[in-house]
Amino acid sequence: MASYFIRRLLLVIPTFLGITLVVFTITRIVPGGPIERIISQARQMDQGTSGGSSGSQSAQPDDSPLSPEQIEDLKKFYGFDKPILISYFDWLTKVLRMDLGVSTRYYDPVWAIIKDKLPVSIYYGLVTTILSYLICIPLGILKAIKHKSFLDSSSSVLVLTGYALPGFIVAIILFVWPAAQWDWFPLGGFVGDDFEELTTSEQIWDVIHHSVLPMIAYMLGSFATMTFLMKNTLMDHLASDYVRTAIAKGLSFRGAVFKHAFRNSLIPLATHFGNNISLFLAGSFLIEKVFNIDGLGLLGFDSLVERDYPVVLGVLVISSILGLLGNILSDLCVALVDPRVKFE
Amino acid sequence: MRINPLTLKKIRRFRSVKRGYYSFLLFVFLLLQAFFAELWINNRALLVYYEGQFYFPTYRSMIPGSVFMLPYEYETNYRALQKRFEKEGGDNFLIMPLVPYNAFEMDLQESKFPPLPPSITDRHFLGTDAIGRDMVARLVYGFRISIIFSILLLVATFAIGIALGCLMGYWGGKFDLFFQRLIEVWSSIPFLYIIMIIASIVVPSLTILVLIYVIFGWMGMTWYMRTSTYKEKARDYVLAARALGASNLRIIFHHILPNSISLIVTFVPFSVAGGISGLTALDFLGFGLPPPTPSWGELLQQGTSNLQAAWIVSSTVAALVLVMVSITFIGEGVREGFDPKMHSTFE
Repeated sequence: MASYFIRRLLLVIPTFLGITLVVFTITRIVPGGPIERIISQARQMDQGTSGGSSGSQSAQPDDSPLSPEQIEDLKKFYGFDKPILISYFDWLTKVLRMDLGVSTRYYDPVWAIIKDKLPVSIYYGLVTTILSYLICIPLGILKAIKHKSFLDSSSSVLVLTGYALPGFIVAIILFVWPAAQWDWFPLGGFVGDDFEELTTSEQIWDVIHHSVLPMIAYMLGSFATMTFLMKNTLMDHLASDYVRTAIAKGLSFRGAVFKHAFRNSLIPLATHFGNNISLFLAGSFLIEKVFNIDGLGLLGFDSLVERDYPVVLGVLVISSILGLLGNILSDLCVALVDPRVKFE
Repeated sequence: MRINPLTLKKIRRFRSVKRGYYSFLLFVFLLLQAFFAELWINNRALLVYYEGQFYFPTYRSMIPGSVFMLPYEYETNYRALQKRFEKEGGDNFLIMPLVPYNAFEMDLQESKFPPLPPSITDRHFLGTDAIGRDMVARLVYGFRISIIFSILLLVATFAIGIALGCLMGYWGGKFDLFFQRLIEVWSSIPFLYIIMIIASIVVPSLTILVLIYVIFGWMGMTWYMRTSTYKEKARDYVLAARALGASNLRIIFHHILPNSISLIVTFVPFSVAGGISGLTALDFLGFGLPPPTPSWGELLQQGTSNLQAAWIVSSTVAALVLVMVSITFIGEGVREGFDPKMHSTFE
């Protein structure tokens, strides 16, 4: 089994290389990178000044406001002067040394920017994971025991409705009504403006108050899958012979459910654990955009809009590593809860 | 045509799931009204009776104003024409559709600024958007575009998925291993990122968007198809067919495909829902179809930035919820019918 996980870990490397190479190449070949931006900025400044001096010196043959040498320098500065594969290799060796480069927008180290946003993402990631398990497991048990009752079918409608709507639509609904129209919750953000002045208990309340709605939007999607998974596996186990035997031996129904069936039904849920954690940590930029939460997702989106490619690639590195490790973590969880599982 | 009794049974089982069946009827109705939307949401009249002659402007090329003795050569303004007919009071008349606006024209009214609230007298039943276009028209025509998008996407991804997945499962070996890795890499690429990068360079048309979505969205179907082919291939009936001397082609098309298709069918509704929500998300972010294409994402964007005009966001959200929930219920019903999980319950 150890050899299986070592092999899985080793397979992460080619996959990681593949992902980053594809995105790196795309950021290289599409127009609109940092150099184009600087050129257009320079042109605007040029027009601003030459507009006053009646444009006397428009003698330059190409309409670029920078000289070829300046452009060469810029290319060297951003590493655009080398072929894609070589500069990809340069970038990769830097990444291995935990150096993700410098943002072309803020001129800050990318790693520092990402580290800035990590607490928000970790908070949302952990809390949503824990909460969704805390709600889905009891709900699934209840639905399995009360199969085909009113409680079961009505909660099915609710859960399915939540499943039907994409997360960002739910986010918009929650943003427009509870937050904007009815004023029950603050309008987005991670903490309020006066956060620094609050006492500790007020600060905790402030964070919770700000995060209720985004949490709901995050969780609803995975809600249906997990609840139904719990319900269906538990029902299968309840109908199986070993539960009947346990009850025949005199165990109460309750005892049979919790001592036998429940524990076995947790196995399929464990397969989702790693994915959930990485999904929630990387965040959904749509939800973060609606609620204006300053997390990793929004950072990735903003840097993409602004063509800040070092940041785009940095966020990609973090989220793809999280995703790949999450997959392995899921397998590990399965192996931990189910001694019968043998990975070969 | 003779329908396979097994299929009949599946359809009967689907119809027995009431929630899914009624959602299906509702969805068919939504589709029909959207594809004949010109008949009830249009700035062209349904029927014009002018000087003893009938005109049906809806589906024909435009009728210049001069035909009705109007002093211009461009398309007749039927709403103004109707008012003129009413004032003249002669035999001439025209019938306007229920919503006499199309999705692109701005209804500029004197001394009022858009967005206009819902009004029955103006026939803006859901009001107008931020620049004065009718909401009903925007919603229905936007729905039509996202359905067309989803169906194109569905056909393309399913074609690729079924073909490639089947080959992967059937051949196995190196071919399978290579595409497995490819899929793993490809599906880890943040696909909205790529679409956004590409969409910011080329002005995306419907075909380009479908193409990009297909390029980054074929993996899911392929994976399911591969697994199900693998399963079917190991079954005894395939072995029996091979022993009888059936060719590979015959085994794939006559034995494996028909048996795995019933699994594939259950993904259709969810794939349509995915297409609609994907396009809406892109339009919401401003990377989707170029304006002035009617789209739900763009309406959501307008609605969230014009919160005082609550009718924009509420009617869009209501439409989205209606469509997405009914599709999901259909999907649930189809799954129940075509791939039933028979639960044995305790006692």
